[in-house]
Amino acid sequence: MTETAPGSADFEALRQKSIEAAEAAIREASSRPDLHLVQAIQALDDTDKYLNITATRASEWYGLHFPELIQMVQDNVGLCKMIAEIGGREGYTAENLQGRGFTEKKVAAILEARDRSKGGTISDGDLSRVKTLASLAVQLSAIRGALNDYVEAQMKKVAPNVSDVAGATIGARLMAKAGGLDRLAMLPASTIQILGAEKALFRSLRTGARPPKHGILFQHQAVHMAPKWQRGKIARTLANKIAIAARVDFYRGSEELSLKVELDKRLERIKELYKEPPKRKPETRERPRREGRPPRRDKFRRR
Amino acid sequence: MSRLLREEKNGRRALLTKNLTPGKRVYNEDLVIREGAEYRTWDPFRSKLAAAILKGLPDDVVVEGGKVLYLGASTGTTASHVSDLVGPTGLVVGVEFAPRVAREFVEHVARERMNVIPFVADARDPSKYAVAKVDVVYCDIAQPDQTEIALVNCSMLLKKGGTLLLVVKARSIDVVKDPAKVFEEERAKLEKAGFRVVRALELSPFEKDHAMLHAVRRD
Repeated sequence: MTETAPGSADFEALRQKSIEAAEAAIREASSRPDLHLVQAIQALDDTDKYLNITATRASEWYGLHFPELIQMVQDNVGLCKMIAEIGGREGYTAENLQGRGFTEKKVAAILEARDRSKGGTISDGDLSRVKTLASLAVQLSAIRGALNDYVEAQMKKVAPNVSDVAGATIGARLMAKAGGLDRLAMLPASTIQILGAEKALFRSLRTGARPPKHGILFQHQAVHMAPKWQRGKIARTLANKIAIAARVDFYRGSEELSLKVELDKRLERIKELYKEPPKRKPETRERPRREGRPPRRDKFRRR
Repeated sequence: MSRLLREEKNGRRALLTKNLTPGKRVYNEDLVIREGAEYRTWDPFRSKLAAAILKGLPDDVVVEGGKVLYLGASTGTTASHVSDLVGPTGLVVGVEFAPRVAREFVEHVARERMNVIPFVADARDPSKYAVAKVDVVYCDIAQPDQTEIALVNCSMLLKKGGTLLLVVKARSIDVVKDPAKVFEEERAKLEKAGFRVVRALELSPFEKDHAMLHAVRRD
């Protein structure tokens, strides 16, 4: 241990060395590819939000002028494309409606609506403002697509097994929540199962209410497509496999495993074993009640 | 004269520390002139040490010329004020584990202030930053075993009779337990490890479920 006086030359040399070492450590930590993935998935989720807000506003606004069209076109981005490219109601023709994925019947209906629209007139100025908004939505959708491609591709490289088991976007969201692949690899499966459900978890710990079954994992279709009484079991199985996958990805590199196969086998088994909803228990046990919100009601009870 | 000033501003108590780097700010705090010297305002809502001082921690714990080991330097808000307090003859060894916040700590505090030595390291391993024995160990880290980590550092780097300022984060130790109970348990751990707990300061209203334990190494 060097005991040098602050302000002396020795001390200053030590200090500079230390600053350099700290900066090197920071630089190294900042160049990890998984951190870029974390930023990308968050940018993707942000972009989703902007896209929704912008497209909804554009279609609401345009709806003053041509309400029938926004009724008839379900796809928000497609609608915004039409607004940006075609503009005013009078501009719609059989030609420029081609190649937008409409059936002939739909095209005819749009043209008819054009002639008998209940929409008001729109000034050139307002129309150009709506068009700007609509083209912003179209651009956002392109950005979103590019981010999505990047996340898919990068996940295959950075965490191939996680991406195989959980799917690229969900895997990336888990990584974002955990704070990187290293952190995800160190989490127990039980934590992975409820990442993203912190509010419900802490409520459960505080009040003795029923704990959450899934957080981000709810987005996985194996979970949200399943009947409610199977979801907890499925989420648990999924989390177990993701925990293993994350560890393989982080510690061993990109070796492919048969994790997905095992997972699918297990999911099949759950579906078989728990085909029927659980029978209502004859007497429900009294749960310890503490202060705070009352426990959640059991949602699967059969009447 | 102490490098800490206490003031009363519209019925509110305020703290100021004498700026070690006049003209420079660290986190957009106000700079004011008192008695011909520049001081930086010290916001108790942003700094637990400032909160503790307003809640009764005496001025002579962190003194001019003192050597401080600061665990959990974060972006360096509090660390910069500690650097002000110990002044040009003092020393602050700042340890931070998270690269993202350490970046700001190194850039805005360590690079600018000649009495600060930064380390991006895990506080569980004090050998990585054992540059000097210190008078004060200040520990503000969000870990369930924060008290144990602080004690490991004290046994290696704190002088005999030195001070430990431990920020007890009740919610980091146990989210469910009653904070008052957590404070009591951590206090008992310090007593058992050979410390005399001089005072325990609850930091509300500045910080929720936090307390500052002021302890002195017995030996």
